[in-house]
Amino acid sequence: MEESINKLIEAIMDGDDEVSAEAAQEIVDAKADLKPVIDKLTEAMRELGRQFEAMEIFLPEMILSADAMVAAMDIFGPILAESGDIQKKGTVVMGTAPGDMHEIGKNIVVTVLTADGFDVVDLGKNVPAIEFVNKAVETNADIIGVSALMTTTMPGATEVINILKDKGLYGKYKVIVGGAPTNPDWAKSIGADGWSESAAEAVVLVNKLMGN
Amino acid sequence: MAVRLWEVMERAQNGPFMEENYFVKKSLMPTIKKLIRKYEIKADLSKPVLTDDALADKIWQAGKELFLTVGVYNQDTHRVIKFEEREVNEALFAAPSYYLVGGNHDLRYFGHRKVEDTAKPFIIMSPDITYDEEIFFSACLSYFKEPLLDGICSPLLGDFMGRPMTSHFPLEIGGSMHHAMTLRETARLAGRPDTFFVAVGTAESDMAQIAVSNDQWGVRANDARLCGGITELMTNNQMLNKAIHYNQMGNLCAILPGAIYGGYAGGAEGTAILQVAFILQGLCVYGASFSQNFPFHLLYGSNTGREMLWIISAYTQAVARNTHLVNDSNCFANAGPMTDMLFYEGAAHAISSVVSGNNLWTCAPCRNKIHNHGTPLEARFAAEVAHSVVAQGMTREQASDVCNKLLAKYEEKIPHDNYGVPYQEAYDVLKCVPKPEYLDLFYKCKEEVAKMGVNFVY
Repeated sequence: MEESINKLIEAIMDGDDEVSAEAAQEIVDAKADLKPVIDKLTEAMRELGRQFEAMEIFLPEMILSADAMVAAMDIFGPILAESGDIQKKGTVVMGTAPGDMHEIGKNIVVTVLTADGFDVVDLGKNVPAIEFVNKAVETNADIIGVSALMTTTMPGATEVINILKDKGLYGKYKVIVGGAPTNPDWAKSIGADGWSESAAEAVVLVNKLMGN
Repeated sequence: MAVRLWEVMERAQNGPFMEENYFVKKSLMPTIKKLIRKYEIKADLSKPVLTDDALADKIWQAGKELFLTVGVYNQDTHRVIKFEEREVNEALFAAPSYYLVGGNHDLRYFGHRKVEDTAKPFIIMSPDITYDEEIFFSACLSYFKEPLLDGICSPLLGDFMGRPMTSHFPLEIGGSMHHAMTLRETARLAGRPDTFFVAVGTAESDMAQIAVSNDQWGVRANDARLCGGITELMTNNQMLNKAIHYNQMGNLCAILPGAIYGGYAGGAEGTAILQVAFILQGLCVYGASFSQNFPFHLLYGSNTGREMLWIISAYTQAVARNTHLVNDSNCFANAGPMTDMLFYEGAAHAISSVVSGNNLWTCAPCRNKIHNHGTPLEARFAAEVAHSVVAQGMTREQASDVCNKLLAKYEEKIPHDNYGVPYQEAYDVLKCVPKPEYLDLFYKCKEEVAKMGVNFVY
């Protein structure tokens, strides 16, 4: 069993989703306790996150590792749900603000939150404000994340919050914002619940908002 | 020069279908990795300015192969725009090697530069950040007071008539018109009415750009306009709309490509290759007359760190040695006004750029993100350094040595916020001149840089 777990961790560090899925299936077939396996996976992803923040690895490696993690979780997920061993960490609806085509920052946050065990609904780029709200309602999300890379698209985040207020939903979903021209003062001024400068900080922020 | 514009638009609409995720993960990322291995490209970051001609040529070959292999992805139609090598070669051959820009006494030569070229670099000045409406006029006018300014992009507006400008909303059109009018007015007041504009940066959407095209008060036909290269090797219908409009107007259409270090391209080698491919995207997809290059660091949003100086020198030399295309190199510094670090960063960026064969666009302070934090004085510093190292015939070896000395002054400070003060604190807003304390720092830093090996022309 130890061999399969090591194989799984190595596959995730190497970003090999096929081997990762294979190792995960071996672990399931052996009817092993999944909780310690998940703990090890979380530890591995945190190490990858640290390496990425230090630019010891780059985005391609991070993306492939996250894919490998997802491949393993696709196999573990139904069993974990059935056993009730692991609670879902939460659901995050994310996208870039209306008019904003720049999504690499948002994509990195989606990658690291997924790797950290959140269900992330990626709405993509240039997302109408109303869509953030509708999707949050539809998926019973916990958090809405709006990314803006242009000063002219920052008002789109305000629009999301205003729609939540107008629909009587403000406070039901936590709203986080980020992107190069944004800052914590602005986030506070528009009524957002949190702001982060980097993907690593976003993971900490989302966990904190979820009380994890 | 848009010789195949409509054929390209047809490909943008009807080229091979591909999911965007597949384009990034299965086409772009693996191709870059493969090309780094194939051409044995390895960065030696102990030398922040590349000194190896053979490596520069390999980066050119790899960048061209990347462009031909992967193509350009249209996010709106999910189609890949691809080119045959003969088409790229045709575009490279047909591209002009220089432009005469501006007019009357503001007429300037904006041309291709070679590696270690002794021809003067063309200097475009711009802070690339937003300013309060109340000081926007002063900020624009202060740039026109810079003697070494050949062209301007200028400060940007974030608000219009007291309301935040929102992309694709009428306020964006209003603010963009205000920007264009103010730029035209301040140019005249400074006695430089026909200065070359790259404008207007406030207009993000295609419709706002189209709205400011006006020979009397706005962007003239002989000005330049920018079309973004989207992360990475992508475009969309808005960018194509802009390209069509700019080319029909007669503007110099420029691609605005910023390959991201640490992003999909990986490290320094992949980023340099990707930047070359982006330049070809501009030429072939947008019919671009020049490239306004700003590769930047994923974490910091700047391009003055060691790896970024290498990337700038590498893609610049690759293109300068193998084409006659016109380029400029946009500085994104970490520090802000009234810090010595900002001067040192601008100097290093200028040296790596112009000695390698680029023109200069300088400079966006504070990682291009802190409102009001930019002045013309840091642009003046970088411009004086650029002209001086070219005039003294600085070699790449010498440039690398000077850049190492400059990096020793600020390299370790890059991760830490050092945003200095806003325009209002660094400049006399009414007179549009730097305050004495900022000028003192300017001259002190000039002395320091002179000791490192820069022979200032004055």
